Amino acid sequence: MSKFSRLTRRQLVVSTAPAIAAFPLAKAGMAIAGGEETQHAHAADRVALSHAAMIGGEVPAPGAPGDLDALLLPSPAQPHARGRVREYTLVGIDKDIEIAKGVWFPAWTYNGTVPGPVIRATEDDLLRVNFVNGGSHPHTIHFHGIHPADMDGVFEIVHPGETFTYEFPARPAGMHLYHCHSTPLKKHIHKGLYGAFIIDPAVPRKPAQELVMVLNGYDTDGDGGNNFYTVNGLTFYYAKYPIRVRRSQTVRIYLANLTEFDLVNSFHLHGDLFRYYPTGTGDQFEYTDTVMLCQGQRGVIEIDFANTGNFMFHAHQSEFTELGWMGFFEVVD
Amino acid sequence: MAVTAGATQGRQWRLWALVPIVLIVGTVLLVAAAGGSLVSLVGSNAPQPDEFDVRRVVFEPGEIRVRVTNPQQDDITIASVAVDDAIVPFTLDGPAELSRLRSSTIVIPYTWVEGEPLAVGVTSSTGIETVEEIPAAVETPGASGRSILGYALIGFLVGVVPVAIGLLWLPSLRRAPPQWSAAFMALTAGLLSFLAVDALSEAASLQAALPSALGGAGLVLLGVALSYLGLTFVSLRLGGDAKGGGARLSGFALATVIAVGIGLHNLGEGLAIGSSFALGELALGAFLVIGFLVHNVTEGLGIAAPLAEDRNVSLTRLATLAVVAGAPAILGAWIGGFLTNDLLGVLFFAIAAGAALQVVMEVGRYVARRAPGGLTSGHVLGGFITGIAVMYVTGLLI
Repeated sequence: MSKFSRLTRRQLVVSTAPAIAAFPLAKAGMAIAGGEETQHAHAADRVALSHAAMIGGEVPAPGAPGDLDALLLPSPAQPHARGRVREYTLVGIDKDIEIAKGVWFPAWTYNGTVPGPVIRATEDDLLRVNFVNGGSHPHTIHFHGIHPADMDGVFEIVHPGETFTYEFPARPAGMHLYHCHSTPLKKHIHKGLYGAFIIDPAVPRKPAQELVMVLNGYDTDGDGGNNFYTVNGLTFYYAKYPIRVRRSQTVRIYLANLTEFDLVNSFHLHGDLFRYYPTGTGDQFEYTDTVMLCQGQRGVIEIDFANTGNFMFHAHQSEFTELGWMGFFEVVD
Repeated sequence: MAVTAGATQGRQWRLWALVPIVLIVGTVLLVAAAGGSLVSLVGSNAPQPDEFDVRRVVFEPGEIRVRVTNPQQDDITIASVAVDDAIVPFTLDGPAELSRLRSSTIVIPYTWVEGEPLAVGVTSSTGIETVEEIPAAVETPGASGRSILGYALIGFLVGVVPVAIGLLWLPSLRRAPPQWSAAFMALTAGLLSFLAVDALSEAASLQAALPSALGGAGLVLLGVALSYLGLTFVSLRLGGDAKGGGARLSGFALATVIAVGIGLHNLGEGLAIGSSFALGELALGAFLVIGFLVHNVTEGLGIAAPLAEDRNVSLTRLATLAVVAGAPAILGAWIGGFLTNDLLGVLFFAIAAGAALQVVMEVGRYVARRAPGGLTSGHVLGGFITGIAVMYVTGLLI
């Protein structure tokens, strides 16, 4: 389905549709993430651009090509089928992650990544999320959306070594999120326990090149302020490895802000405008190039690129941009 | 027989001295081999702060160079560099992973804005950011012929010139009655006491900024002791009398010792001026130079005072004294301007403090011997207080 992925600028093979996004989300027992990744040409043969441009191989970003595919590219939406069980397993893992080039953050993760895996279901699916706390602190999973009070991830604290299964019908359709709700809340969230939660409407959205972007920050020195900002967890990752998309099809981004400490984050696109559907729950949209998101706010963006070429996207807080929250779309025909 | 036994014992004491040394080496090896198991008996070590020690920030057109040192026990790795909260590309002149007290220079291509404040942040691999704030970015002078001459001229103006002018009080001092001569000698002691305290406080504040691993306080004591005892030794040689609790220096000999003491102080003063200017912490204006001129003119008076009784002092000797006391300011300005080493600064100021203290002692002995009414006469006490007061008041100009 997705005929796009990140390829290097010089790579000639364009539309071979590599088997990406085949992440077995719909299947039971989604174990620790980081399994299959599509292998792309390496950064070494990338055109080295000037420092000022901050694009390509020279950019100080951690990670290798394809590292974030599981977080960027959601599994395809499933057709509506009332009562179908969608089962996921999330494991709480304490893990040091290289979040900026050479900088390691002692994170608390779901399945070993920050943000955690994308959870996707269709409206009226029965969502069953098995949580195994393999970390060193008590955690929970608190989902946004409609569900019973005893499935809210507030009262049922899961201690290290314990498990808990969250089960509720997926609704309403929209872009949601999940995060740990143990206290101290600020600590549990900013350490990395959060992720995107997509509920597809019963009537499918029109086909698009779908992406997930979770905005976050890292307070690496514990002073109550973020030292780094990212989209999907790694600073400047999409500046080093631009996201390749095709002009001919709509690009749909499921966007969520899980930045701690800073009240507001934002998404700004260069060279074009997009439709922004707040929380992705309705048809109302704003046609703009900049959206502002408070902590926990999210929405769905749809871009129909008018031109090809490299288009930057970043927080319009310049500070966040220059501390890692910046990337590029490489729009091709 | 007794002589032989004594000689044997004389050699044996050296052998016996080795016993504790061998024991301590053995114990050290044992503890080192035991490693962390000793610590685990009482708990675990707290993690190290992982902060860098920023030694120097140099501004060149289109480039910022930051010298950082690892002040702690554990290794630190330079991972990320930010200027004004923006991550910037950089290269390293040196290793990225710094072991204890090792340094590297971070080279950042950057178009900085002249005269505006700027903060450089260096982040370790553990995410700890050390921020160095520069109040105003100004191009750092390099060691060109022009700047070498410039620092020399500044050193000359704040060191040699005032001392030479101060020495010209000599004809007046020669004609002064003895109690007034004593008063001027006491004034010298007063101003030297001021310099000693001044240098000691400079050394103390500089050492406080040093990484604790460098043991700043001990370094101050070392510098003070070194110069105090060194000058004592020189004074005894010059005075030729090891008995009676001190040297009996002639007027010229005492003037020489004073000149050396003041010279060491001016070395530190030059260093402070040079490094403060190089680091952009000091505006070197005419006012500052005037301040030092007035402040240091009294140093010339201090050297002239003991010469009053010595009738055979040639102009060459006077010029030599002026150079001995003043020229170190030039050397200091060069070192401070081009090297900027806090460790050297601490050592120099400590040496200056020790030297000044020693010279105060020498002057005290001289006054006690020569002054009508001894150390407690009104002229002497008044002179001493005046010396301190004059230094304080002229110091306000700086």
